Amino acid sequence: MSSSTSQRMPSHDGRESESPDTAVPGPPSGPSSAWSLGALRLDRYSGIYLAVILIAVFCVLLPDTFGTANNARVIAGSAAIAGILTLAVTVSLAAGTFDISIAANMTFSICLLGALLTVVELPWVVAVILTVAAGALVGAVNALLISTIGVEAIIATLGMSSVLAALSFWVAGGQTVLLNEVGSTFTRLGTTTIATVPITVFYLAAVAVALWYLMEHTPTGRYLYAIGSNPQAAKLAGIKVARLTWISLIMTGALAALAGVVLTMQLSASSFGAGAPYLLPAFAATFLGSTQILPGRFNVRGTIVALYLLTIAVKGLQLKYPELPWIKDLVEGLVLLVAVSITTYAVRHRKTR
Amino acid sequence: MNSDRRTPRLDLRAVSKTFGGTRVLHDVSLDVAPGEVHALVGQNGSGKSTLIKILAGFHTADPGASVLVDGESRALGDDIQDAGVRFVHQDLGLVPALSVVDNLALGRGYATSVGGRIDWRRQRETAQAAIRAVGYDVDVRKIVDDLQPVEKTAVAIARALQSAEGEMSVLVLDEPTATMPKAEVQRLFEIINNVRAQGVGVLYVSHHLEEVFELADRVTVLVDGHKVATRRCSEVDQRALVDLMTGGVVDQARRSSAAEHGEQMLKLEGVGGTELIDFDLTVHAGEVVGVAGITGSGREELCSLVFGAKARTGRVSVGGRELRASRTDIATDLGMALVPANRLRDGIVVGLNVRENLNLTTARRLVRHGRIPADDDRQQASRICGKMSVKAPSLEAPILALSGGNQQKVVLGKWLQTEPTVLLLDEPTQGVDVAAKAEIHHLIDEAAIQGVAVLVCSSDETELERLCDRVVVLRHGRVMSDFVGDAIQTRRLVHTSLGLTS
Repeated sequence: MSSSTSQRMPSHDGRESESPDTAVPGPPSGPSSAWSLGALRLDRYSGIYLAVILIAVFCVLLPDTFGTANNARVIAGSAAIAGILTLAVTVSLAAGTFDISIAANMTFSICLLGALLTVVELPWVVAVILTVAAGALVGAVNALLISTIGVEAIIATLGMSSVLAALSFWVAGGQTVLLNEVGSTFTRLGTTTIATVPITVFYLAAVAVALWYLMEHTPTGRYLYAIGSNPQAAKLAGIKVARLTWISLIMTGALAALAGVVLTMQLSASSFGAGAPYLLPAFAATFLGSTQILPGRFNVRGTIVALYLLTIAVKGLQLKYPELPWIKDLVEGLVLLVAVSITTYAVRHRKTR
Repeated sequence: MNSDRRTPRLDLRAVSKTFGGTRVLHDVSLDVAPGEVHALVGQNGSGKSTLIKILAGFHTADPGASVLVDGESRALGDDIQDAGVRFVHQDLGLVPALSVVDNLALGRGYATSVGGRIDWRRQRETAQAAIRAVGYDVDVRKIVDDLQPVEKTAVAIARALQSAEGEMSVLVLDEPTATMPKAEVQRLFEIINNVRAQGVGVLYVSHHLEEVFELADRVTVLVDGHKVATRRCSEVDQRALVDLMTGGVVDQARRSSAAEHGEQMLKLEGVGGTELIDFDLTVHAGEVVGVAGITGSGREELCSLVFGAKARTGRVSVGGRELRASRTDIATDLGMALVPANRLRDGIVVGLNVRENLNLTTARRLVRHGRIPADDDRQQASRICGKMSVKAPSLEAPILALSGGNQQKVVLGKWLQTEPTVLLLDEPTQGVDVAAKAEIHHLIDEAAIQGVAVLVCSSDETELERLCDRVVVLRHGRVMSDFVGDAIQTRRLVHTSLGLTS
């Protein structure tokens, strides 16, 4: 959000209030070239190096628990569902809006899917499609509130979270529903492996590739970044700002629902309240991701790097200090604060020079 | 005679300012006597605002400047504020959502009674007294947003007076009447006369020459950062003052305009906004039409109204097709392009780099097989960069790494790529250095030669003389006059926009 802060200068009669005209022959890009350390490009890839270092350190410290193929699968698989939700956050933040109802949306999707499968007894394919559509509809209502009516995004989605929590309870009756009867295909789609890699990783990969393509190789992606950075200038460039805000929030809603669907498949149960713990890490990884690969931008590849960095750090620390149950919350909270501080500082630095 | 003998309230000496190699103020000196209203006039870009900002401490002056307040040497900025110099800037600096009482208490503190509770009655009385001190009366319980413009100014002046705690030496008023209806201006003058009667020196910055003559004792004229004269108002007339303001400006060669223009491209019928009233205009292909007018004349909002960035009444059609209001996307599709006045807010997208800013309007056209090929993207940006001679460290550089002039070329280039049929330019060379200005003018000429219908709104009359085939002068939202061809002269445009008969 910080990147969309509009800049205002004290202006009196125009011309003289503009910043002085100075040609700034600077480095090609990036906030500081000293950071980049030649070919290592630390300003872009520091997260990858840090992840490699963490893996090495934890493998040495914990060869029996961390340094195993099984643990690698657990990390990859558990990050996948969080990853889909994190990409949902990335899409809306890139477009300059803020959706904190994603976790509630994910919970709602889980409950709705459970109810559609057990109460209505729909075929699972239909139930999944309806669930994702419902998630998209939630996104559309958010867009109506934020873009069309003009409610502050944080308030609109906070209210929506509460409404969705109520709907979740109503749909599921406050119960966790086991889905053993649904059929083996449904559960296998959440638990099987392909070449020993959990299938959920492929879901994340598919979503990530699709979004990466959209954001970085199509006009829509560029327009999303433009409205996220300066909606006023984007509008004056003939870009349909309202429509793109709708699209981004609908995508966010659909992706949050998809995360819920994949989690339900993995657990073979529609677990009431399962979405909430995913909220903070999703924002933490997205903000951390905006310092990676394409610094200063909420980007898909950076988000994926940050997601795995965060998951590796949390998992390693959890295994090293099993007696400290709060370590996950601490790390994720600190990462969010540090990442947002970095991006805010970078934006201010960029604007005032 | 009498006042000048005394120690000046404010004595500014040899103030210069250089921005990145360009000197925008050259050794400007002026003084303000006790009880005097000293007017500061000059066209846009003459250095008025820079001078005021140096006084207020927003900018630092080049070495060598000095300032005396009541005969004592002071430092520019906070120090002269301590010496009782107070500023009322054009935006007034009030908090619109709070009451007059609150606005006057902010920065000064509230009167409190038992338990730290605000003593509202006492506070109201203090506020009332502060307003009366400027010889005015406002219901202090009112919310500032609900006040008339002159009442807001009164509150701002009262606050300045109050914050100086009776020790105000100089009051600097920067364009106080810019958004004020004429009737209210008289009420403002009463306030100013009240303040000066207390021995305060007033430095009064204004575009409105009639105000200068009505109010000021002396007037100082700035042209391109030089002080060209300080005169007693009783010794000059308006015409002489305008000559001083526009004199010494070398007119650049005007575009040798094609005698015949193409078909009618842009047609405005009864267009109105917050200032503009019932405005009609047609612009033909290949024609450059200028719009002049001072702040508040409607000139500032015209481009936004036409493009649909601001709600409007009336009809706008492009090439015979009517354009719905508030649909910038349709405006673009119809071949319209807008280079907005506020480059930072409306023109560039700070989060995107130079290449992405350049291709923002044409991204969709670059698509091959569902994506933007990276090579085409770069080549197109590189081509337009070369054509416009944009100086950028690289195409991937952040847009803010470019100078103002180059940013402006990027904004213009972004639109020229769309091959527009109608080009709307709002202050196209604002905050741009001289060289870039000439280049931008040349690009505008070229666009017109290629058959683009161009509408230029500018507060720089010399620019209009340089560029336009026809100029419409606005005043108070209505057309004052219309100049064609050789009749377009900076002096006449200035005269007309100030409401003088030429």
